[in-house]
Amino acid sequence: MKQATFCAAVLLFAACAPLVTGAQNPGTIFIQNATVLTVTHGNIEHGSILIRDGKIAAVGADLQAPEGAAIIDATGQYVMPGIIDCHSHIAVDGSVNEAGPAVSSMANIADVLNPDDIDIYRDLAGGVTTANILHGSANPIGGQTVVIKLRWGKPASELPFQGALPGIKFALGENPKHSNFPTPPGVTPRYPGTRLGVEEVIRQAFIEAREYKKQWDDYNQRKAAGEQNLIPPRRNVQLDPLVEVMEGKRYVHAHCYRADEILMLIRVANEFGFKVRTFQHVLEGYKIADEIAASGAGGSTFSDWWAYKMEAFDAIPYNAALMADRGVIVSVNSDDAQEARQLNQEAAKSMKNGGLSANDALKLITLNPAIQLGIDARAGSIDVGKDADLAIYNRDPLSVYAVVQKTLIDGQVYFDRQRDIAERATLAAEKQTLLDKEKKAAEAKKDEEKSEKKPETKPDKKKKPSQDGGGAFESGVAGGSR
Amino acid sequence: MNRRLRRRSIPVVVLALCAAILIGWACTARGEGGEPRYFAVKGARIVAVSGPAIENGTVVIAKGLIQAVGSNVTIPPEAWVIDGAGLTVYPGLIDAGTNIGLAQDEDGKKPARGAGAAGPEDRPATTPWRVAADELKTDDKRIESWRNAGFTTALTVPEGGIFPGQATVIDLGGERAGDYVVNPRASVPVSFKPVGGFFGFPDSLMGTIAYVRQVLDDTAWYAQAEPIYQANPTKTERVPYERTEYVLNRALQANEIVLLPANNTIQILRAIRLTGEWKIRAVLYGGQQGYEVAAALASSKIPVLVNLKWPERAKDGDPEAEQNLRELRLRDRAPGTPAALAKAGVTFALYSGGLDGPKDIFKSVKRATDAGLTPDAALRAMTLDAADILGLSDRLGSIAPGKIANLVITDGDIFNEKTKVKHVFVDGRWFEIHEEAPPEKPGEKKPGDDDGTGSGQAKGGEGVGR
Amino acid sequence: MKILNLSSRMVALVLAASLATPAWTQNAAPTSYAIKGGKVFTLAGAAIENGTVLIRDGKIAAVGAGIAIPADAQVIDASGLEVYPGMFDPITQMGLNEVSAVSATLDVSELGDYNPELVAATAVNPASAHIPITRANGITEVIAAPGTTGFDLQSGGLIAGQASAFNLAGWTMDEMQINRSVAMVINWPSIQTRSFDFATFSIKEKPYADVKREYDKSVNALGDWMDRARHYAQAKEKGSPALYERDLKLEALVPVVQGRLPVLVVADEARDIRNAVDFCTKQNLRMILGGGAEAWKMKELLKDKKIPVVLAPTNRLPEQIDTPYDKPYTEPSELFTAGIPIAFSSFGTSFSRRLPQYAGTAVAYGLPHDEALKAVMLNAAQIFGLADQLGTLEPGKIANVIVTNGDPLELQTQVRYLFIKGQLTSTDNKHRELYEQYRKRPQPAR
Repeated sequence: MKQATFCAAVLLFAACAPLVTGAQNPGTIFIQNATVLTVTHGNIEHGSILIRDGKIAAVGADLQAPEGAAIIDATGQYVMPGIIDCHSHIAVDGSVNEAGPAVSSMANIADVLNPDDIDIYRDLAGGVTTANILHGSANPIGGQTVVIKLRWGKPASELPFQGALPGIKFALGENPKHSNFPTPPGVTPRYPGTRLGVEEVIRQAFIEAREYKKQWDDYNQRKAAGEQNLIPPRRNVQLDPLVEVMEGKRYVHAHCYRADEILMLIRVANEFGFKVRTFQHVLEGYKIADEIAASGAGGSTFSDWWAYKMEAFDAIPYNAALMADRGVIVSVNSDDAQEARQLNQEAAKSMKNGGLSANDALKLITLNPAIQLGIDARAGSIDVGKDADLAIYNRDPLSVYAVVQKTLIDGQVYFDRQRDIAERATLAAEKQTLLDKEKKAAEAKKDEEKSEKKPETKPDKKKKPSQDGGGAFESGVAGGSR
Repeated sequence: MNRRLRRRSIPVVVLALCAAILIGWACTARGEGGEPRYFAVKGARIVAVSGPAIENGTVVIAKGLIQAVGSNVTIPPEAWVIDGAGLTVYPGLIDAGTNIGLAQDEDGKKPARGAGAAGPEDRPATTPWRVAADELKTDDKRIESWRNAGFTTALTVPEGGIFPGQATVIDLGGERAGDYVVNPRASVPVSFKPVGGFFGFPDSLMGTIAYVRQVLDDTAWYAQAEPIYQANPTKTERVPYERTEYVLNRALQANEIVLLPANNTIQILRAIRLTGEWKIRAVLYGGQQGYEVAAALASSKIPVLVNLKWPERAKDGDPEAEQNLRELRLRDRAPGTPAALAKAGVTFALYSGGLDGPKDIFKSVKRATDAGLTPDAALRAMTLDAADILGLSDRLGSIAPGKIANLVITDGDIFNEKTKVKHVFVDGRWFEIHEEAPPEKPGEKKPGDDDGTGSGQAKGGEGVGR
Repeated sequence: MKILNLSSRMVALVLAASLATPAWTQNAAPTSYAIKGGKVFTLAGAAIENGTVLIRDGKIAAVGAGIAIPADAQVIDASGLEVYPGMFDPITQMGLNEVSAVSATLDVSELGDYNPELVAATAVNPASAHIPITRANGITEVIAAPGTTGFDLQSGGLIAGQASAFNLAGWTMDEMQINRSVAMVINWPSIQTRSFDFATFSIKEKPYADVKREYDKSVNALGDWMDRARHYAQAKEKGSPALYERDLKLEALVPVVQGRLPVLVVADEARDIRNAVDFCTKQNLRMILGGGAEAWKMKELLKDKKIPVVLAPTNRLPEQIDTPYDKPYTEPSELFTAGIPIAFSSFGTSFSRRLPQYAGTAVAYGLPHDEALKAVMLNAAQIFGLADQLGTLEPGKIANVIVTNGDPLELQTQVRYLFIKGQLTSTDNKHRELYEQYRKRPQPAR
């Protein structure tokens, strides 16, 4: 009898060990006892998620934590797929626009990712795990774009979403025709100045790209046939991405507002044999939802922005619902580091404006943007086999009262609200220490200069206090951008 | 061999001969300008850098080169001997990044070259044919003030633009500009600062990087196309002449190092990646956040020029401006970069990067040594490693026979702020360095000071033997 | 009871008809309503289950449980619904800004730095498309403040003009206006060493000393204006009009220097707030702080001087890199706990409808729900001296009432019935019209 009790006790202890000991096997994580919003197959009350090596290994209501797993107790909390922001400009070093030429496809966001941008962390704290980092909207054809995961603390090389196709930004309407900011005196305004010219720029660029591709195809053919002494065509960094668009290897994300310009781009795309992947903003998309659906493009829109520009004057907060109604895959995006922190709130608005169900509202910021970005095999829902990109809230994320508690990417906790709060004192102390140290050094320097009785060096009038803090042979400002 | 001469003419001839010999000897002992060409510094402590220090040694200089160095060295009879007792001889210091000798850009008046470029074909801010050696102004006061502090060599870099030109290695002494030049085309500096202005290309960092990529692609195309054309002029369409492609191609064929800007971690890692993509022989300049990525730098094997102008709080800035933690950390840790690089095995040199003068340079070096850089490593970074990065370690950067006679002779440890520089040799030219006289009180005249040049600067060659 | 049910159905029919009318119409005929059966949140006491609100001649006539309903009252069945005072957005450019990128539609910021005599009510466009959209989301009254900015505008001059309070319904400003001049807007000058130079398209740094000098000049100039206004007031009081030249600008400042009209000082940075408080104390002005993004750094000072804060939108980024990520979200709660009166505002026009969202986010991060409701319905009225007319469901107050299908701060909640100035008001608006129109678009031919 005693033996049995002893054995039972041992077994009981062994069962409890994972809860007590925590991460012995950090590759295995068990989120337990939450309301799991899978997005694809319903909500699971008192559900758990098992994560192994960064992937979702199991989801259900009757799971047991394996031994050695790190436990995240999410009792009373809600777990949803990490938010995917389909239109973001965070994490960029320098300007997001190469606004000089009308076609700036040579510029590539992937060259200038800034992993130190604090907005990465802030958006992470808003539940965002993946973002489509786009070039700005200053050009009819803008720069190349990249999808990243918000892996705060990792270097730039580890941000891109592996396997996601690269993109390129197009822009239609008022921005690329620079209607809303005056050209300074003495500067020639850049063509195009009307929507007429916007179309022409795009068509012309693709005509050149077609010609360029042909030159290379010809050259490759002749070379393969054994021809000698062939001078190859020049490589053109501006046209290469356009060739990729025509070959279906690069997604087109087109910023647009007016219904007519959206139809224009569908027509142009057809002419050159490619499809627009997403229409971004697409605030008048509701007027031509059927045409957009037929084109196969997704629509990535704002929840309720309107009236800030003429082309946004017919924007309505029912845009997402109406487009979705007609079969367009719709996502709601931010285009703004703050808006990205509240995408759960923005998605919820479509329940009020257009009557979307709660799950359909969630899709706007999870599965749908994943489909649009071609990453839905890996992200966008809580399904076995997908990446463990998750956001844990203290209540239903579609409530204005929901607060993100933790955000995970690839099964790693990248944001933890409690940890953030706990670290503040330490960081403040470190800051004060460094400030005091600098102050002391500055005072010591002053004393030193006094005792040296240095003859006053006349400030060099020629040298302006430069942005970079230096004169000769400066390479730039140290520290993170912005 | 003496010839027997007729007795009557012997005295005249002998006199003439003696005079000729004397003059000839004097001429060969001196340079064309009347300066001596053979020197010996005797009985000094010699810090060779390429070998262990020699406590009681001698360096012999002959015609601009180091002829011999050691503890038991024969001093040629024609050598002018400098008593090295109590003195230390170091290799002349190398400042691996300056614009000494080049005209400064008028502030704010650029970038005329970049504004309005519609695209890469306009080659905005691209003048790789500008060679610093061709624009050297030897009346730059910094030449003297750097030299007085022990710098004998500098990489002087043209500025203004994405491809501003080609940098030159100069020795800080000579008569005509050409005398200064050690290697006229030592490197191709690149800047990633956008130059475009409003509606001008490029006006963003990514546009600038894309532009550099295109230029390198175009240069590679030219390198491939031009020989094909030359070999088959009757069968191929003529390859047009484009100055940038032509010049850059030559530079890259000559294995000139490409200087890429990289100061913070992001820039450094990006530059490493771009170096791999572009397949260029690169050296990074800036490097101040190297303390964070020393391991990555080491495995990339890319050398770094570290800017000694450590980041500081802006002097004329808002006193209430929030200093954020990352800036504070950078300012605190940047001086630790050289030590971190040394520890990780990264090849690096130091450069003045816009510091006002050598005094500030040494103060900056002190901050680095205080933060863990050993004095030996500091010295290497300012001598042999700098020469190595610049591809000139066979002739600069240490005290070894055959190397150019660039030396600095001090009365103590060169990094001690109380130490005074006594002599400097540049290409075997001797400069005797005098202390700066204390600032005059108005009305007080010192004997012998008629033009007020109280800050004794040795003139090359004169004052010898004073 | 059956009779009541019948009349409710008839009322429903009448209502349906009225809701179909254009957005800016209010029912002309009935002026007597009874909202019954809902949970009534008066904000002047405990909530009343199954309460009744009687409205007559534009005012609230009575509130309570089991009140007798007058025979001529149009009955609104609020069973299962909630009844609240309408929300109040105290800093907007409502009616002064139609499309922010189109300057022809902007009347927010006049040229010049000193425009105390300008009054927002002069130029508010009662037919602005923003008005029906905003009230459909539960905001019944606003203050339009000249010289203030939304996310899409540049801020105006130092003394930008007088803010006006008005209801979001009426054919003309005369019908809408609550109080023509509720505050003098002052955009506190800021010391900015970094600026964006469009000519070279780069960030320029200016030496602090230069910027500080300009800043001091501006602040001194503000002080000079106040001094001259005092002299002018004296001259006006003591002298005959023939002996002094009428100065509209100084005249407008007289109520300010005499403490009768508060100054709404827009300032976000801690130093600016500190300096503004200092200035207003020295000048003896009644200060209301607008914006206050770093007000949390000046809590003691604001509390000590009893300065209320009309907050910039809660949903914004922290001011500095090192500021905790949730500081803007927790600030309302922090200030409330410190005893500082707060009110939420949108600082905008098209986003005035986000007012409840800003309040809701503050609740998520610690502000008690009741206080949040007050901060969107009542506190602004108190801060701007309109508490006798607005902010609670109490007899005698303007009947600005919303009936919702849930918590007004929640994102899914809809306004079912809207009363402004005691009139049932349609919630139709441009957005809904376009929605209805394009919903009906037939499938295009292939």
